[in-house]
Amino acid sequence: MSLIASQTLTMTVASLKMYFRDRQALFWSLLLPMLFMVIFGLMDFGAFGRVDMGIADLADNAESRGVVAALEGIDALNVSYDPDRESARSAVEDGDIDVALVIPAGFGPSDDPVALEVLFNEARPRESGVGFSVLRQVLDELSFSMTGARRLFVIEPTPAGDRDLRYIDFLMPGIVAMSIMQMGLFSVAFAFVQLKRQGVLRRLLATPMRPASFIFAYVVTRLTVSVLQTGVLVGVAVLFFGVQIAGNPLTLLLLALVGGAVFVSLGFAVSGWAKNEQVAAPIANVIALPMIFLSGVFFPRDAMPDVLGVVTDYLPLSYLADSMRSVSVDGAALTSQWAGLLGLAAWLVVSYAVAIKLFRWE
Amino acid sequence: MIEVRDLRKSYGDLQAVAGVSFSVAPGEVFGILGPNGAGKTTTVEILEGMRPPDGGSAFVNGVDVHSDPHRVKSIIGVQLQSSVFFERLNLSEILKLFGSFYGRRVDALELLEQVGLEDKIGSVYVDLSGGQKQRFSIAVALVNDPLVLFLDEPTTGLDPQARRHAWDLVKGFKSEGRTILLTTHYMEEAEELCDRIAIMDGGRIIALDEPDALIDSLLERGFSKEHVERQANLEDVFLDLTGRALREG
Repeated sequence: MSLIASQTLTMTVASLKMYFRDRQALFWSLLLPMLFMVIFGLMDFGAFGRVDMGIADLADNAESRGVVAALEGIDALNVSYDPDRESARSAVEDGDIDVALVIPAGFGPSDDPVALEVLFNEARPRESGVGFSVLRQVLDELSFSMTGARRLFVIEPTPAGDRDLRYIDFLMPGIVAMSIMQMGLFSVAFAFVQLKRQGVLRRLLATPMRPASFIFAYVVTRLTVSVLQTGVLVGVAVLFFGVQIAGNPLTLLLLALVGGAVFVSLGFAVSGWAKNEQVAAPIANVIALPMIFLSGVFFPRDAMPDVLGVVTDYLPLSYLADSMRSVSVDGAALTSQWAGLLGLAAWLVVSYAVAIKLFRWE
Repeated sequence: MIEVRDLRKSYGDLQAVAGVSFSVAPGEVFGILGPNGAGKTTTVEILEGMRPPDGGSAFVNGVDVHSDPHRVKSIIGVQLQSSVFFERLNLSEILKLFGSFYGRRVDALELLEQVGLEDKIGSVYVDLSGGQKQRFSIAVALVNDPLVLFLDEPTTGLDPQARRHAWDLVKGFKSEGRTILLTTHYMEEAEELCDRIAIMDGGRIIALDEPDALIDSLLERGFSKEHVERQANLEDVFLDLTGRALREG
């Protein structure tokens, strides 16, 4: 192994060791976002667990009552009744129920399979998924007992208009993006200014280790933390608040990596500018605080005045939060997030250039 | 071992080093003395490969510090004025980490024994006393078994016992054949340790010779002290009362 590689490796290992030894900082960096999730999660706690299924029985005959009775007997379902299709649809749309089965008038055995419409909530892919599979099973059994083999019913899935998002589903990706920003910006700006002021960096400059190796070690440490932090926060959100990750969780981790790189670079830029910790903290706050409110962490940016909405589209935290939200809530694939990734890449280039320009070792 | 010719360095309008020349022989202890702001630290930092000079040349063991600072850094050991080390690594981990920067596996215990800190191997730097910190930074300077040791004000802020202990360390390095370049404000330290000294002021060397020769030339010019020095001074009284043993605290 070349000397540069081994210098970089030992520095990286030492840097990770130092980061994870700072238990207090670790604790607080996870506690704050979790606190947000707990507070907001408690506001909307009951919605997790069973699948709420509404039934609009427009036929009300022996066959349809047979289907309803079979569904009522299933533990995973919470069955309720709606008088007509429209009330069922709006109940799904409002999020009162996850799926609604519409049994058409004149329901019963016929030569052609009968189409059954099932309204579902796109924002609850897990619940509606469970609802679909239960329905299929019940209808198949019913067909079998009536005819012996032939399939009598087909399910027609229909999304029920606008989606109903629980607030926590919306909130979680925003909180995760915010915590990535806080970690990258503050931990780098603060720690580097401290190392600089104390003279630790000067002592390192007197060794044959390249400055680039040290920066690499620092960045790798922060990116590792950013990915782990995202994993922990998403895990807590899924396990304790029933947040559903519609997309690939690995995509979220990848976004955490890219977003982490942007904010770590910004942190370096701040540390190059600030003379001491007392200056670094306010500068980092001036960058971070407005973004927390303008980048739609807590509230959708749709609610903002148009001009503000357009301007805030270009904030780095907006790109990160929006992309994470698309993946988490809409199940978007990474490839569909090229606009967000491009935005983050642009910010990475800009903040990296500023960091290089402002950076000082002593 | 060290060759300096007409070295220059300015910061804006301030000419910190204004044409400095000297050479240090292998195995020599060379001292640079001078008041604050005389250019001592800047001169030393250029030799350590930490700052490029504006003009002139400097070679350490034949390596040009301007064109190849990395090679210089790998053959020298450096103690900086007020060095600080990572807070969350213990002394052993810091020594091993610094050793790895030179591609060396270090025996942390052996290095700490050399400076009398073997029982602090698991401690963190911030928990050390002033004298212990200074000795630890000397231990870090030794991780690459350097040809040349640069000690920048190695005893500033130390009590008389710790200062004498540091002197003994320096004498030990000299007997091992290492070349040492040190800066200091303390004349008795220069007299005790240095084979030759350069006195700097305003970025220039204003005198360069053996300590005795410098004193002799002053006396030849007819200098005499108002008070005749007695056989002992206050420091001797202090050391007689408090003992020479190293204090830890």
